[in-house]
Amino acid sequence: MARGRRFRLSPSLANRLTVGFAIAFAILTGLAVIGVARFLQQRQDFENATARSYQREIEARNRLARGDRPAAARSTIVTQQSRRQALRDEISSETRDTALLVGAGLIAGLTGAALLFTGLISSMRRPLEDLVEASGRLAGGDLEARVEVGGLSETATLGAAFNEMAGELQRRAGERDQLDRMKDEFVLTASHELRSPLTSVQGFAELLLLEREKLDPKQAETVEVILDNTRHLVRLLNDLLDLARSDAGRLTIKPVPTDAGALVEDAVRTMRAQFDARSQRLELEVEPGLPRIEADRDRMRQVLVNLLTNANEYCPEGAGIGVKVRRREADVEIDVSDDGPGIPEEQLAHIFERFSRGDAGETQRVGGTGLGLAISRSLVELHGGAIDAESAPGEGSTFRVRLPAAASPERAEAT
Amino acid sequence: MARILLADDSETILLLLRTRLEMEGHEVETAADGQQVVDAVRAAAAPHDILLLDAMMPRKSGIDALRELRAEGLETPALIVSAHTDGNGEDHGDLGIAAYVSKPIDFDRLFAEIAELTGEV
Repeated sequence: MARGRRFRLSPSLANRLTVGFAIAFAILTGLAVIGVARFLQQRQDFENATARSYQREIEARNRLARGDRPAAARSTIVTQQSRRQALRDEISSETRDTALLVGAGLIAGLTGAALLFTGLISSMRRPLEDLVEASGRLAGGDLEARVEVGGLSETATLGAAFNEMAGELQRRAGERDQLDRMKDEFVLTASHELRSPLTSVQGFAELLLLEREKLDPKQAETVEVILDNTRHLVRLLNDLLDLARSDAGRLTIKPVPTDAGALVEDAVRTMRAQFDARSQRLELEVEPGLPRIEADRDRMRQVLVNLLTNANEYCPEGAGIGVKVRRREADVEIDVSDDGPGIPEEQLAHIFERFSRGDAGETQRVGGTGLGLAISRSLVELHGGAIDAESAPGEGSTFRVRLPAAASPERAEAT
Repeated sequence: MARILLADDSETILLLLRTRLEMEGHEVETAADGQQVVDAVRAAAAPHDILLLDAMMPRKSGIDALRELRAEGLETPALIVSAHTDGNGEDHGDLGIAAYVSKPIDFDRLFAEIAELTGEV
């Protein structure tokens, strides 16, 4: 089909420009040649006629000098003189006409060329503007953006190439979305399928420990290891499930007006035993008269327990952990700070990312999944709040959760 | 102590739940799917105190069995065991489900729910 394409009369801009230029050049050159030729011809005719006229006058003057029909000779002389005058008038009029004709032709030719080029330029302009507009939309994420293909072959080719590119982008985006959905489905299904065997393992290990007195100490310890690891696996599974939900936009919260102080106290209460086990001091400070927050209690509790668990596990025995709840402008701020080893700057920058954890040595010791802070951030953001961390090596760490206060009834009426 | 009808399609989970519940002193009858639950309820000489059903079972799920029994006017309180952490993500508000128990099972919580339902707090 390449042959067919080659011989197709394509309204190409290059072709049109070449043809247009050749035609304009030919017309203008033709006009100039015709003009000059006509001018030279007229000049030649004038000179010949004038020369003949002089010839006749000279002959008449010779006849007059010889006395040969003097009356006729005199008449001829006068006639020839007036004829030359007429010839001069004629030539000047003719050359003026020629000049006018050539001038008019040149102007017409140039105007025609100018019209041709403006026409071509404006015929380029619309498709190019369309392309610019569509590119902008495509760059802005509108993968449906396409241009109309037609007109000059250059813009048509460009338009077709643009459409092909946009189509390819759209196809790949679709494939990527599908892969994402498959991944989310896989995680949801896998975590569901893993839950039943884990229930058995954890349940029977617990069952064995209920009859600890029948086990020798070594066996009891073995069962405890099984149980610890099973719980870790369950935690990892729950975290992965939360992340998959978050990615699939299915992580949802059911917020209700909540007393932030009571929420924090509840989280602290559940963690108290772990802090006591490591002889860590835990101090809670709740500012009185706090506004209520809109919170999903289970999910906010999960965030707070995560922050407290991190403090508990990453701080050495005997460390001090402080939890402060206070009002900050229209928000309620919850600080969880510790006087532990702190976090190096390069780790701090990625601390809310998935599988970001302390250094390898720490990772062996603590039981985290590396997903807790990533999930906490998703949950806090779902609440319309923000979470950040401040830390420096040797100076402890502070994790700060800011949640917007619930609109008070008065304010709700005012707005 | 309560008479509990327990249903799960996994034999190990049935064994685990049955052992723990019997250790707590409950009387346990088991079923392997929803149809067996419906049959057991209909055949029972005295009504059970609690139904403890797995949400997803082959042939007939715990939810479907419960729906069928509720339609027959059964008022026995029901606990649904679900592999999902958030009650199957569905709302079965009309089925009178007392609570969802997520897997892995937190037995302390399960025993507390049972005590509450049988009025032995």
